[in-house]
Amino acid sequence: MANSLNIVTICGSLRKRSYNASLVRLLPQLAPADMMITAAPGYAGFPHFNQDLAVPDEVMTLADAVRAADGVIIVSPEYGWTIPGALKNALDWVSKTKDQPFKDKPVAIQSASTGPLGASRMQYHLRQTLAAIDALVFVKPEVQIAFAKDKFDEASGELKDAASIALVTQQLADFGKFVRRVRL
Amino acid sequence: MSNVITICGSLRKGSFNRMLANALPGLAPAGMTIKASPSIEMPLYNSDLQAEGFPPAATALSDAIRAADGVIIVSPEYNWTIPGGLKNAIDWVSRMKDQPFANKPICLQSCSMGILGGARMQYHMRQSMVFLNAFVFNTPEVLIAQAQNKFDEKTGELKDEATRNVVKQQLEAFGKFIARVGDKA
Repeated sequence: MANSLNIVTICGSLRKRSYNASLVRLLPQLAPADMMITAAPGYAGFPHFNQDLAVPDEVMTLADAVRAADGVIIVSPEYGWTIPGALKNALDWVSKTKDQPFKDKPVAIQSASTGPLGASRMQYHLRQTLAAIDALVFVKPEVQIAFAKDKFDEASGELKDAASIALVTQQLADFGKFVRRVRL
Repeated sequence: MSNVITICGSLRKGSFNRMLANALPGLAPAGMTIKASPSIEMPLYNSDLQAEGFPPAATALSDAIRAADGVIIVSPEYNWTIPGGLKNAIDWVSRMKDQPFANKPICLQSCSMGILGGARMQYHMRQSMVFLNAFVFNTPEVLIAQAQNKFDEKTGELKDEATRNVVKQQLEAFGKFIARVGDKA
């Protein structure tokens, strides 16, 4: 579609069998017709942020993808009741690039956890950081998939819970409208 | 007698938080020794990597935390929360058997060039430290705002007298806190 929204996903988990990575892979199928969802370039090779270092090329690659996107969806687990360090390290790097890519960028958040809170503590800390970098964070519905073990298929790793799938589908549709409303 | 280590959340050379960490031994009460922890630079956490074995840096940091009577985390705030690199090190440590932060007395300090002194980092860190089951010292808090006016950027010396006093008070109170809540020898 010519007028399609270009949305990139950033996953907060680097492990292969991550529930959150599985959710990321599912999103293109649940997106509304006018939304293209692709994975943003990875950050697994980023060094530990240090202001004395020059910005690495890989950081520029991710920053360019965020800048070029109409919106970003961050899908992440919660580590230690907050944001995974690796994901935060990526945001720290990207936030230091010129023409700060998250400024005025529509961002939606999704998470899955095996516990009862669905990684909400990560989400509210992430909202604070996204405010710091001046993103426009989508509000509701929130996607916080609790008890992920029961909702993803053990063998295939795919999300099988119909209510969760419907919720994610709804969020993507509403996020599309939000992006069209607030983007520059 | 207490043996305390500092974990600094910034890697840059001219870091005010590093200057503060370096100043602590000179401000510590009698009987408290303060040394820098091993490096917090380690690979980005991934449980697939963990399955192949913990990185040596994660093991070294964990061993140092376990061996210490108390830990002082001295960190800047990045984007209104914990620096990703520091949180990454904590993510590794949190996965260790005999989790090193459990029941460990912890104290927080931060410097920033703004007016809040890294407070938003500290309150997020407190939340993470609940998960880690650490005993986090309460008050006085050390939140050094407008750090550029309080350190000598050439020598790295903490020159602001009021700030030196609050740091001294905190270290003294933290020493008592360690005696009270720390593992007894």
